[in-house]
Amino acid sequence: MYSQFLDNLTGGQLYLICSLWIFLIFFIVVSIMLFRLKKPFVTYMSDLPLEDDDTSNTFKPLQS
Amino acid sequence: MQPEKFYYDNKIVRNFGIATIIWGIVGMTVGLIIAIQLYHPAANMDTQYTTFGRLRPLHTNAVIFAFVGNCIFMGVYYSLQRLLKARMFSDTLSYIHFWGWQLIIVAAAITLPLGFTTSHEYAELEWPIDILITVVWVIFGINMFGTIIKRRERHLYVAIWFYIATFVTVAVLHIVNSIELPVSLTKSYMVYAGVQDALVQWWYGHNAVAFFLTTPYLGMMYYFLPKMANRPIYSYKLSILHFWALIFIYIWAGPHHLLYSTLPGWAQSLGVAFSIMLIAPSWGGMINGLLTLRGAWDKVRDDVILKFMVVGLTAYGMATFEGPMLSLKQVNGFAHFTDWIIAHVHVGAMGWNGFLTFAILYWIIPRIYKTELFSKKLASIHFWIGTLGILFYVIPIYWAGFTQSLMLKEFTPEGILKYPNFLETTLRILPMYVMRSIGGTLYLSGVILMAYNLFRTMAQGSLVANEAAQAMPLEPFIKPVNEHSWHRALERKPIKFMIIALLVILIGSFVELMPTLTIKSNIPTIASVKPYTPLELQGRDLYIREGCLACHSQTVRPFRSETERYGEYSKAGEFVYDHPFLWGSKRIGPDLAREGGKYPNAWHYNHMMDPRLMSPGSIMPNYDWFLTQTLDTSLTAKKINAMRTLGVPYPAGYEKIANRDLDKQAKGIADDLAKNHIKVTSDKEIIALIAYLQRLGMDIKANKSANNN
Repeated sequence: MYSQFLDNLTGGQLYLICSLWIFLIFFIVVSIMLFRLKKPFVTYMSDLPLEDDDTSNTFKPLQS
Repeated sequence: MQPEKFYYDNKIVRNFGIATIIWGIVGMTVGLIIAIQLYHPAANMDTQYTTFGRLRPLHTNAVIFAFVGNCIFMGVYYSLQRLLKARMFSDTLSYIHFWGWQLIIVAAAITLPLGFTTSHEYAELEWPIDILITVVWVIFGINMFGTIIKRRERHLYVAIWFYIATFVTVAVLHIVNSIELPVSLTKSYMVYAGVQDALVQWWYGHNAVAFFLTTPYLGMMYYFLPKMANRPIYSYKLSILHFWALIFIYIWAGPHHLLYSTLPGWAQSLGVAFSIMLIAPSWGGMINGLLTLRGAWDKVRDDVILKFMVVGLTAYGMATFEGPMLSLKQVNGFAHFTDWIIAHVHVGAMGWNGFLTFAILYWIIPRIYKTELFSKKLASIHFWIGTLGILFYVIPIYWAGFTQSLMLKEFTPEGILKYPNFLETTLRILPMYVMRSIGGTLYLSGVILMAYNLFRTMAQGSLVANEAAQAMPLEPFIKPVNEHSWHRALERKPIKFMIIALLVILIGSFVELMPTLTIKSNIPTIASVKPYTPLELQGRDLYIREGCLACHSQTVRPFRSETERYGEYSKAGEFVYDHPFLWGSKRIGPDLAREGGKYPNAWHYNHMMDPRLMSPGSIMPNYDWFLTQTLDTSLTAKKINAMRTLGVPYPAGYEKIANRDLDKQAKGIADDLAKNHIKVTSDKEIIALIAYLQRLGMDIKANKSANNN
């Protein structure tokens, strides 16, 4: 009764493995991006919602 | 450089806020009415416009697109302006967006009770409304990107990424899932059939949850929670990681709605694998939200808005843990088609979407009216009866799901089904249905209390329609020589950002959909499966009109408990002419995939007149209008032509003689009924419906008898 699923699964292993690889590579790329973010920038970004009335929108720590 | 003065548009925020409240009450009231109908069928007042099958899509559409939809726009229009330090791009577009969206909702509220439906869950609206949705959505997109382009803040905060991902993905989902061939202004056929249509529908359905009920709410959480708690988000890096992981993974998980169906096995396994992985980014969001409140838990004790947020986030955590568990095949085999799924959905809808909506409304309305909330005490009462309402709703319905599934799967020691009559299991759980409606009443009472509280708040304050603000204009950007971060650069470039987000969701969609849609061998054909006769086709359209699939599935899973009860398990090749597929997602009544030939025509006639005549205690409503309404055969030729265009092999020119065949078959059924002392003319709707029901599953049975010979 279950043989149709098992048969299909064998044929589809390529899809499974490829999909998981695509995700793994994507995840590693995002992690590297995160690793390279600088602390002052992260602090600046996370404070954005709290600064409605603040006019200081000129964050340039790398240029200072 | 001098700071620029400008004004935030609060009027549009207020308008969407009021629409959220009103449609919330409407959508939940309809939900309560259909919950009562489940144990008191006469609550439909015996009219065809208010039966469970027609009102259930109205409830889901009203809650998802009217209540949650308007709240999304309220939250986006409030936070986007402030995060970008700019007024919305165009007041006219905001105005058209608002009224266009309300027009869609009104059109849905009129057409769904009239029975104009595509039958695709959460996408039931017919093609003219689908086009209107596309236009209004594009207007929203232009308005959002226009605002982003004229912003005074260079970097886009994480909330805005969630809004961009929402915009682009909902656009893709809506368009792909709405590809249909119109037959008339109010009727169309889905381009895909059977298993392909099912895959497209649940790729859409699952991601409507992801990109309409989840990502915009996470975006709003990332803006409003720090405002409410007056502290930045716990981890900005975590927000980036869980954003990308969430939008990447979610798009793959749709097939977990089709486990043990005839969908190719690899697609089912893919859906399960990604569903399990989905726990990580979902909990990343929940943890980020809850930990934002670290060191501020004393505030939660006093602040009712934070209480709503904490329960909302907890509900999100519960639902997103439960979802992956439900996608495990063994658990799914037990839970699918039962009330367990209804409970799961309502933890998310009432807890996560509902409570976040209430918190944001309580936070925004006093601010844009420059006043205090009319009554904190009423808000606190709302919180408690809302929470109790959720518990009273979900606990009985979880119980009902477990009970019914156990009963349906129970065998006697002799190896026969212990409860062969489906109705017996339904009657056992009716007390839980009663309790569920009490929970729903409590929850709805809380919302009405909130509406009173907020309208009094509006009355005591006055709307600051244009709120003055100032910010420095953006200087021309000079790329720092030592900038190495790709992501920082990406956050300055909204269009590139949108394209990358689009690519991310397209990868999963492509891998998941394309093989099933394009490779023929994925759907083994069955020689004995023939196109529907014109009368059966008309009957099928009546089945769709009445929303029968809200209660009856048409797919038998390969379990002994199901093959014993219903017959042979379903095969992909059986559905190749089913535009659209009608597998359903919930069994309030038994499966109908093998209904053909089980009962005589007279049984169906009497059953439709009053189901309790044939099944004492049945909770199915009367469908007596089938007996008196004349079947509309004016569209038969057009329907045959449309089906042929979609690949159904009707012979050339058949549309011209289709109604002749229809009459002949109808007369045969009417004659058979006459032999059983039922006087009915052959032009009535009941004849077409009986023809369709008697056809269900017959192709396979014919195949079997041919093989045996």
